[in-house]
Amino acid sequence: MLFNSLVFPAFLALVAAVTYVVPGRWRWGVVLAASLFFYALFNIGYVGLLAAATGVAYVGGWRVHHLAPGRTRAATLAVAIVAELALLFVFKYFDFFASSTNGVLQAALLPHLGFLIPAGLSFYVFACVSYLVDIFRGDLIAEHHLGRFALYVSFFPKLLAGPIERATHFLPQIRRARGFDADGVTLGLQLILWGLFKKVVVADRLAAFVNTAYQNPGLTSPLDLVLGTYFFAFQIYCDFSGYSDIAIGAARVLGFDLIENFRRPYLATSIADFWGQRWHISLTRWFRDYLYIPLGGSRVSRLRTVLNLLVVFVVSGLWHGANWTFVIWGGLNGLYQVLYLLTAPVRARVGQIVQLPAGLAAVLSALLTFHLVLVAWIFFRAASLTDALTIVARIAQAVPRLPDLVRNYAFSGGVVLSLGLIGFLLMVELVDEHRSIWASLRARPVYQRWAVYYALLGALLLLGTWNLNQFVYMQF
Amino acid sequence: MESQSIRLHAVLTAERSTAAQTESTTARFIRRGGLFLAIGLLLYLGVYVFADQLVYGHTLRNRFFVVKTAPLPHYDMVVLGASHAAVFDYEDMNARLESLTGAHVINLSVVGSGVTPNKLLLDYLLVNHSVGSVIYVLDSFVFDSPQWNEQRLSDAHLYDRAPFDPALALLLAKTPATRAELSDYVFGFSKINNQDRFNTDVSDDEAQRFGSTYRPVPQIDTQRLKFLYPNGVDEASLNRYLGEFDDLLQALDARHIRISVIKPPLPERLYRQLPAEAQFDARLVAIVGGHSAQFHDFSLMCNDERFFFNPDHLNRAGVLNFYASCLPALLGSSG
Repeated sequence: MLFNSLVFPAFLALVAAVTYVVPGRWRWGVVLAASLFFYALFNIGYVGLLAAATGVAYVGGWRVHHLAPGRTRAATLAVAIVAELALLFVFKYFDFFASSTNGVLQAALLPHLGFLIPAGLSFYVFACVSYLVDIFRGDLIAEHHLGRFALYVSFFPKLLAGPIERATHFLPQIRRARGFDADGVTLGLQLILWGLFKKVVVADRLAAFVNTAYQNPGLTSPLDLVLGTYFFAFQIYCDFSGYSDIAIGAARVLGFDLIENFRRPYLATSIADFWGQRWHISLTRWFRDYLYIPLGGSRVSRLRTVLNLLVVFVVSGLWHGANWTFVIWGGLNGLYQVLYLLTAPVRARVGQIVQLPAGLAAVLSALLTFHLVLVAWIFFRAASLTDALTIVARIAQAVPRLPDLVRNYAFSGGVVLSLGLIGFLLMVELVDEHRSIWASLRARPVYQRWAVYYALLGALLLLGTWNLNQFVYMQF
Repeated sequence: MESQSIRLHAVLTAERSTAAQTESTTARFIRRGGLFLAIGLLLYLGVYVFADQLVYGHTLRNRFFVVKTAPLPHYDMVVLGASHAAVFDYEDMNARLESLTGAHVINLSVVGSGVTPNKLLLDYLLVNHSVGSVIYVLDSFVFDSPQWNEQRLSDAHLYDRAPFDPALALLLAKTPATRAELSDYVFGFSKINNQDRFNTDVSDDEAQRFGSTYRPVPQIDTQRLKFLYPNGVDEASLNRYLGEFDDLLQALDARHIRISVIKPPLPERLYRQLPAEAQFDARLVAIVGGHSAQFHDFSLMCNDERFFFNPDHLNRAGVLNFYASCLPALLGSSG
């Protein structure tokens, strides 16, 4: 059952109704049962894997909590983390590792397992690892109630593609069992509606164009590649942030708060701002807290800091998928971060000499940041490194001719509509950057609010692409 | 920046209401929610009516539309089949057939459809019309997979221009293969959501390629065959759909509707590559022989290479040649 299926609203309404009818102490049971049912609909076998990850984290967390500080405690933590990551390795990376090894050794030494990556595996394994580390660090007391802990791992709104929730934030909410909150439910429904709009009206419409452009880049016209790349930037954003909005909204309907995952990323004025504050926040923070800081973060030598940044971004790329395209994507973003760090004095100096108006400087910075991210997206989306390099080369060759190409391009109705939707989205985000759209909406008379809701519902009905395209991040 | 960007959380974690307030806000929420839904349903109804009316202005080929708007109470001839039968309805081909035969002809063929969709359409036609004879343009591939039968009926495009008709709703409810589509049809979701709503439903084959001639390319032929027979010949499917075909012939016999089964012309090079076609023909002849039906195999007649606009579909010249050279044999035997 996908969030963008017509069954999901009915499922959510049913779960919410039952959740608020049963006594508070049983709510975790209702939501856990719903979550397992939700996951089992994808593949009943996946539930076993989810149970394994949950069991390892539960037992490991319990042991780590009760052991006195020392080697045994650290070893227990290491064993539990390795067991969690082993699940990820076997199901997600083994075949990539096997083909790379076999390729280097020019021999078929390692077999191919051919497993399909279970939906949400990377997300719930990371949730389990953060739980274990938080206990080890003393930031969290191990949860003794297996059912509540299982709900933390398997809560269905966040199960398939995050946000990667921390136990320190989520477990207290399960224990508290909040009652019905009309404002919260309304806000949840608003987020679901907006998330669906982004996914079904914008992302899936753009996906059709992007898929065609990227299918055979050698034969696609350069301008279609340029358009396809711009469209992909918005497709991936609307797809993933749409998912996150629906997840946060669905959780809110059930009385839970999930952390925010996106904050208008394409308005970022630097690459550090993009990654640090705006894009896939829950994952970036996970890597910051559980990899970057343990490696020494920025409190080490400049060279070590640079290496730490590169390691974090390459691993982050690899987290997205077992493919060299993701490694390059991660590496490129790491390189951007390193350059941003190393050029700080130069940029400050230039800023003193060329004193641009603050607004203009922000616009130029946002455009530069966006285009750096855009180049990296080519590697993320391309089917292979060869394809990615072909696309980069063909776009680079076409740049000087771009005005002519645009002038002679036959813009179809679909492309014009897609550009219009992107413009609309950016306009909304610009407004939202200064004052929350939802907060503004709350202050408006009811007929204005409802007009907005009906307009969004109308767009879903009339312009939505309801062919049940899976969310991109579900494959990670 | 940080404080601005956490506004959403500020809203999310806003101070909770007291218990008494919660009770009254819950009641208010339910009341308002009900009103919101009621207005939404009214708006939906308006959009539904608009979408249904729009269908009448922009539809030519959708077969449910064709049946719903069929002006005559009686048709002398109904053409059934898949895309090889659809070419007889391209441009003015049906009008020419009517003028050649002096009969009222309605073409209900559906691209990529086997006996299950064809039977549904014929049943729909027979709800409010009478029929003299059926010309079934038959391809072996449609008997090899549910993808051309039950699964074909789950294609939303079949219903996105189907005007609302209680008779069709009833038929969809009664037909096991279409029960899942009933809610879509009744609530008109595909119709409302049709992104092509302001264009006429003439296919690219009809609009752009029907007048052209195909120059054979072996790779394209191979791809085409792979598309038509993705799993080769599947014996279980073959038995099942030949059984359904047998039932259809029996039902038509019972209603005293004459039936002619024809195999359409195919380029010889392609025909020779069809998997197990001779065995299929033998089984087909045995089934047809058990009823008062006629069988005409035009596979290797009227099939000059210049008569096709792609590997296997007759072009305009091909259909006209078929009418001139092969049709008389068909009309002569079927009366």
